[in-house]
Amino acid sequence: MKKILLSIAVMSISIVSMAQDVTVETILDNYFEAIGGRDAWNELEGHVMKASVDNQGMEIPLEIYAMKDGRSITNISVMGMELSQGAFDGEVSWGTNFMSMKPELSDDETTENAKRGSGDYPDPFLNYADKGYTVELMEKETIDGIECFKLKLTKNPMLADGEEVDNIGYYFFDTENYVLVYQEQEIMTGEMKGEVAVTTLSDYQEVEGLMFPFSISQGMKDGESQPLEITEIELNPEVDEDFFSFPGE
Amino acid sequence: MIKIVTACAVLFSTVVSAQSVSDLKGDELFGGMKARHIGPALMSGRVSDIEGHPSDKSTIYIGTAGGGVWKSQDGGVHFKSIFDDYCQSIGTVAIDPKDPDKTIWVGTGEVWTRNSTSVGDGIYKSTDGGTNWKKMGLEKSDRISSIQIHPENSDVIFVGVQGALWGSSEERGVFKTTDGGLTWKKIFYIDKNTGCSDLVMDPSNSDVMYASFWEHRRTAWSFSSGGASSALYKTTDGGKTWNKIHKGFPEGKYGRIAFAIAPSDSKILYSVVESEDASKSGMYRSEDAGASWSHTNADFALTIRPFYFARIVVHPTEPNTIMKAGLFGSVSKDGGKTFKQLGSMHPDIHDIWFDINDPDKVFVGTDGGLYRSLNGAKTMERIENLPICQFYHVATDNQEPYNVYGGLQDNGSWFGPSRSPGGVEARDWEVIGVGDGFRVYPHPTEPHIMYSEMQGAETVWRYDSKARQTKVITPMPAEGDPKLRFNWNAPITTSSNNPDRLYIGSQFVYISNDRGDTWKKISGDLTTNDPAKQNQAESGGLSIDNSGAENHCTIFSIAESTLDENVIWAGTDDGNVQVTNDGGKSWSNTTEALTAAGLPSNTWCYHIEASVFDKGTAYAVFDGHTKNDPNTYCYKTTDFGKTWTSIVKNEHVYGFARAFQEDFENPDLLFLGTEFGLYITIDGGANWMKFENNMPATPIHYIDMQAKTNDVILGTHGRGIIILDDVSALRQVTNEVISNELYFMDVPAFTMDEESTFGGTSTETQFVGENPRSGARISYYLNKRHTFGKMSMKVYGMDGKFITKLSPSKKKGLNTVYWNYNSMAPKVAGGKTFAAGAFFAPRVPADSYKIEVVKGKNTYETVIEVKYPENSVYSLSERKYQQEVTKKLFDMNEQLAYMVYQLDTWSKHAKRKCKKETKLVKTATKLITELTGLKEDVVITTGDNYVGRAENQLREDLADVYGTIGGNVGPPTSSQMANVELMESDLAEAMDAWKSIESGTLKKYKAALAKLEIKETKIKTFEDFTKKEK
Repeated sequence: MKKILLSIAVMSISIVSMAQDVTVETILDNYFEAIGGRDAWNELEGHVMKASVDNQGMEIPLEIYAMKDGRSITNISVMGMELSQGAFDGEVSWGTNFMSMKPELSDDETTENAKRGSGDYPDPFLNYADKGYTVELMEKETIDGIECFKLKLTKNPMLADGEEVDNIGYYFFDTENYVLVYQEQEIMTGEMKGEVAVTTLSDYQEVEGLMFPFSISQGMKDGESQPLEITEIELNPEVDEDFFSFPGE
Repeated sequence: MIKIVTACAVLFSTVVSAQSVSDLKGDELFGGMKARHIGPALMSGRVSDIEGHPSDKSTIYIGTAGGGVWKSQDGGVHFKSIFDDYCQSIGTVAIDPKDPDKTIWVGTGEVWTRNSTSVGDGIYKSTDGGTNWKKMGLEKSDRISSIQIHPENSDVIFVGVQGALWGSSEERGVFKTTDGGLTWKKIFYIDKNTGCSDLVMDPSNSDVMYASFWEHRRTAWSFSSGGASSALYKTTDGGKTWNKIHKGFPEGKYGRIAFAIAPSDSKILYSVVESEDASKSGMYRSEDAGASWSHTNADFALTIRPFYFARIVVHPTEPNTIMKAGLFGSVSKDGGKTFKQLGSMHPDIHDIWFDINDPDKVFVGTDGGLYRSLNGAKTMERIENLPICQFYHVATDNQEPYNVYGGLQDNGSWFGPSRSPGGVEARDWEVIGVGDGFRVYPHPTEPHIMYSEMQGAETVWRYDSKARQTKVITPMPAEGDPKLRFNWNAPITTSSNNPDRLYIGSQFVYISNDRGDTWKKISGDLTTNDPAKQNQAESGGLSIDNSGAENHCTIFSIAESTLDENVIWAGTDDGNVQVTNDGGKSWSNTTEALTAAGLPSNTWCYHIEASVFDKGTAYAVFDGHTKNDPNTYCYKTTDFGKTWTSIVKNEHVYGFARAFQEDFENPDLLFLGTEFGLYITIDGGANWMKFENNMPATPIHYIDMQAKTNDVILGTHGRGIIILDDVSALRQVTNEVISNELYFMDVPAFTMDEESTFGGTSTETQFVGENPRSGARISYYLNKRHTFGKMSMKVYGMDGKFITKLSPSKKKGLNTVYWNYNSMAPKVAGGKTFAAGAFFAPRVPADSYKIEVVKGKNTYETVIEVKYPENSVYSLSERKYQQEVTKKLFDMNEQLAYMVYQLDTWSKHAKRKCKKETKLVKTATKLITELTGLKEDVVITTGDNYVGRAENQLREDLADVYGTIGGNVGPPTSSQMANVELMESDLAEAMDAWKSIESGTLKKYKAALAKLEIKETKIKTFEDFTKKEK
């Protein structure tokens, strides 16, 4: 028993001393190490998440595709209807109108922002400097009762109401295991401008050597949110050439 | 690596499990507990400073007296609080002219130094437009009046520090940094009683600055504005040397001097001088950059209350158009010779802001919030989404939902509901007193009777909200009485032993047992009755200011024991705590025992709480800030005040305390409200934890607890009413509890909320207070945040039948999951439209339910009880009938869904196979035609979800009647039942048609498949198809 206590003490001390000279790079090194290693993530070509959200007792299944070149789509199945949201084929951004059930093109600004964000896959911190992003270490904060490192990620500017604006997000990593647990992003346009959108991540599980959060909640800061519960993740899915394309009228 | 992570996790969970409640920090315990804000904002609060972006007219910041900093990014339509975690008393907000989008400075400590003003704690900087803040020093500045940033060098900043209000201090004067705030140098200082009340940089030459210095002091019983040290200075060398610029000013001493430069002409200056000779007070104008001044105006509006209104704002392009803060605010178009009142708005104007592009658009900060005008302040409209009101007190009743009562700084007395359909809106609040509002109480058993007061108990009202009638019941002096001394915020309280009883305190305790019609004095003078502290008529300094705000040697807190009506406690503003055990016949002064316990003498007793557990036990909270003492004082006695023990250490709690609440069930669960927010202890005061979940660092002036709901209600002096819903989980946290990986807290039986959801008439620009979450609250403690592996939560009937899934909360500490009493929605037939009614998941009947959490390999269970409302208009048999019909319709939806699923599956199969096998074409085509025909009869297959919607078919009609009957609380109507019969017959007809296809064409198709040795399609069983639990 004494030995165990001793080893715990040593472990705690080593973590504490490690924490004192913590830098952006040590955090990101540990983060990528914890989720499977940079090499493995660099090799990833895309993935699809099979998930569901609960809408007041009705489970709505979704399939979320994201590819290395920025192509993405979320396919939703409700009451026998198939809808697509957040679709982007590298050039064109679109989604299904819930009223007409027809695909509609996104506005120019959304499309442009989708293009600008297409380098984020699979993780905005992977090779961030090559993408022109900058990362700054902020003061630690407590999130969900755990102490977290807070990184400020400044990506390339985005468009908001016709203006080039900073694209800044804050990312919180558990100081104990370096896993990303929480994100904050300020809303830059519309009536919610200035409000902070948050994402909470948990239920990390391994998929072919990579760690993915299987529960992702998105909502407004201090507001309520319903998590996306992921049931399965498939890596490098094979998709048809026109899988992400705007189907036309 | 994953193994290592797991090993670390296991290791740390071992370490964590050794934690004790006395080591817990607030953010490790409070988890998912979250404060909610109900405002209101129909009467807002004091706006102390307004600052607009120099080139982007959409961005406006306001600083408030106790509600922090708010930012608008749409030109003043919506505002968002951006400074929640820091001191909420704001002196000034400044925008870096070189980096106006990002670099913002906030100087804390309001400079409008009324008696109730809150303190500041330094200067803060944001480099991202207000998202993140960092304190940059000047912690002892108390009040920062001005921040001037060098236009070409963002690292060079000059700060005017007004300094401590309630004592001498050396951290005042003009400070300068040349490294962006990392270090500060005091570059101009007069003395420890004189601070810089305004520092202004010449917009055309940053070496030129003007600084007004003000000698002033408040005590609890007096205010003094002015002295030999008050002066207006100018520097022309960037702050190295300063000279008085008084040529043309009156002789003698000055008080507070307001100052402004015309932005369009730096030679034109204005100052409003508080002078020894009142006839020489008022507006002075210089046309030579301060070399000489001429007196232009001494109107009442210009000279009134300099300590509160010392601000001049000059039009951006017209140097002769100026506005002056004041009781009503004034505008001059002739360079200060004559003034006219600003448009009608809440009195007490503190700051004014002209829109940069359209100076006719004007914002004005008042005691009643922020106003805007589109016509140069001729007519004003109030911004209705700033819940920054300043409560002095809060009380609750026992109604359903309970109401909240309280009085506001300069905004009367009010009550409103703790929740309301659509949220707590402006229209939900009712005014029950005018003037400044303070203590407000409902009659304990007849809540339509309520008591309120205005400042200094000038008027105490009893209000009957049914009759809408008031009666003034203020106790008056009788023969032989000395002058009665009531505090500005005079103590009124009710009794839990006698609902008609009312107490009020002057220097004496008065009691009434008939709701205020008859008063009886039950004590002598309980204060120190120090004559030196009773000269309020001379208070104010150069300008007499005898508003009653400095009344002293008064009783401030009265508490009758709930356990014995003869035990009454009284605390005074001059530091006495007295107690009687015989209903007031005799009183014991316990003050010496407090002094012995370490309380500095004459420290204001702000609140006494008589314990509900023991009549000899009480808690007393003392506020020393009016003696310039920032420490936290909270004492407990268990022997009627013979001895007192401190239950708070300064290193655990930030800010002087005013408010306290003891829990009703756990004597170790205590709540303390300080100048900087809320603290909670669960071990009787050994460890105080700050509560910060959606809880700003705003001054808390009063705390109440609602016995039925276990809600803690905070009367804040800057952010309105803030509520912590049901804190009962905190009662149960022990060392044993927190040693568990997951521990379910005991929860009460839950009553289903069956109220209509109608409500919500507020407009887009009005504040709406947050309602509590509805539903059963499943509460548990997690000793570690859940990050790795799956965690799920399910609800089962006591018979083990699956009801629904819930999303578990995963924070370290206390977690709450809300269940809306719904099971799961039916499986609905696939179609071309939403069948809206089928989104509905039936409510469960009142019963006990098992909650199961699976976390990794471990399973945890608890049982909760769900009840129907007691006041329901429906009988149990009516409910049972509704539930049976709903179940029947639920099943019918699923039967139809299963039929359509089979139709679709066979249809797809036939289409696919006949492409490959020509021998199948004939049978397959026939089958497809029949299946399609049937489907079109039962499901919408064309149109859209809006006005292009096709006529309903069976699926949509069935879903509608299911959703309608299921959504009702009571039994179905006869018309609905007739419709159910119609649906039954339609469904039966459809099923018959399906059976006929099944036994006819489908059978033939299957036979053809068999002959060709083609595999049939796999059809799920009905049970598999409709299975909800995965």
